[in-house]
Amino acid sequence: MNNVKIKSKNLNVYYGEKQALFNVNLDLNEKEVTALIGPSGCGKSTFIRCINRMNDVIDICKVSGNIEIDGVEINDKNLDVVSLRERVGMVFQKPNPFPKSIYDNISYGPKIHGKGETKSELDEIVENSLKKAALWEEVKDRLNEPGTGLSGGQQQRLCIARAISVNPEVILMDEPCSALDPIATAKIEELIDELKKTYTIVIVTHSMAQAVRVSQKTGFFHLGKLIEVGKTEKIFKNPDNKMTQDYITGRFG
Amino acid sequence: MSNEHTVKSYEEELRYLIDSVIKMGSLTESQLVDSMDAVIKVDKDSIDKIIKSDDEINKFRSKIDTQIMTLLVKRAPMAIDLRETISSLKISQDLERIGDLSKSNAKKVKPLPLDLPEELLGNLKRLGDLVIKQLNDVLDSYVNKNYDKAKEVWEKDEQVDDLTYIAMESVIDFLSKDKKNLDFSTHLIFATKNLERAGDHITNIAESICYLIKGEYLKGSRPKGKVIQQ
Repeated sequence: MNNVKIKSKNLNVYYGEKQALFNVNLDLNEKEVTALIGPSGCGKSTFIRCINRMNDVIDICKVSGNIEIDGVEINDKNLDVVSLRERVGMVFQKPNPFPKSIYDNISYGPKIHGKGETKSELDEIVENSLKKAALWEEVKDRLNEPGTGLSGGQQQRLCIARAISVNPEVILMDEPCSALDPIATAKIEELIDELKKTYTIVIVTHSMAQAVRVSQKTGFFHLGKLIEVGKTEKIFKNPDNKMTQDYITGRFG
Repeated sequence: MSNEHTVKSYEEELRYLIDSVIKMGSLTESQLVDSMDAVIKVDKDSIDKIIKSDDEINKFRSKIDTQIMTLLVKRAPMAIDLRETISSLKISQDLERIGDLSKSNAKKVKPLPLDLPEELLGNLKRLGDLVIKQLNDVLDSYVNKNYDKAKEVWEKDEQVDDLTYIAMESVIDFLSKDKKNLDFSTHLIFATKNLERAGDHITNIAESICYLIKGEYLKGSRPKGKVIQQ
């Protein structure tokens, strides 16, 4: 098993009065895909949003407990959130390219993070990122066209390319295929398989089959609690917890 | 299984699959009883009926295959449902093989003389009775999802091996007394071996049931009797 990259300890999250996460202790391994499953509102998205401090933008949100990346606490108030988000990229449910050219979508991040100072450096970053996101061949002749003109699946790969353009260590994916057709989904899954050689990936998904296909570790959340976590194969063949079994077999009333 | 599925038709499809396996099991058991009876009583009139019942068992096997394919495609079963589906596939395969062996034994009745000595058939009957009991017990453990009972069947196959050895020995003794017995004695040897093989399929079923219930395979090697070690 790979080293632990991200460690959450007694993590609690509150939205105003409402507690969204209860004492979550979860280790995410380096260069592995961890899938988080559970019914809507169970806290899985809240959990991944803690990893790049996206919850900071919600005024009523309060976080207690710890999240460490490589042993360093990221809930520290003095931590530079911009540089954290450079290390922890994110891809969302709906592809959300900037209303800019394909090229600019990718080069924007490196530019604001001070990477790629010359045009040729930026060109290289754009090409490499698009190649890593398995999109280069499809768009190399129209880099100046708007990113929003691509198909849904291509847009999502563009967003993945954008996330990896700043050379992150972790990629968070919040239901990245829910708006895509099966072929585009297959391409993203294939890509995830490739990306895990370089990055630590956390994916929230409502598709059990997808969790089985892409992840090595799976965590099941329910009502803000991490009910069970383990090797994906074990979770889907023979989970220890009855609640996990009821959820994955479709017995949740 | 505990709670019911949110999707009722899924629940029904799984129940229907399990029912099919149970029905196939009970047909296989009747066929084994009939074929044993035919051998012991040298009842040549029942041969055709037993052969025909094998067709029924084979039809069940195809039906179960189709049900499983449909379930896999439609439901992508997980955890206990996945194990239920896969064990149905394996159990139905073993039942079908037991059916083939019963049929094969029924066919062996034809060349047997009507006046076989008591001691020769006695040992074969004891073996047959044990195999029938084993099948009955293993099916019972499937219906009631009884892990301990399935494991007991698995362990008891040792006795099947021992009785096979004894039955074989008595046939060979009989054969060595008079070479004229050679022709039908060979059939009895094969019939004995068939029962031992049916016993092995029953232990496979027991293993499938244990996996179905606990999600892990039985550890260690099964106790083996005399016939295997030879």
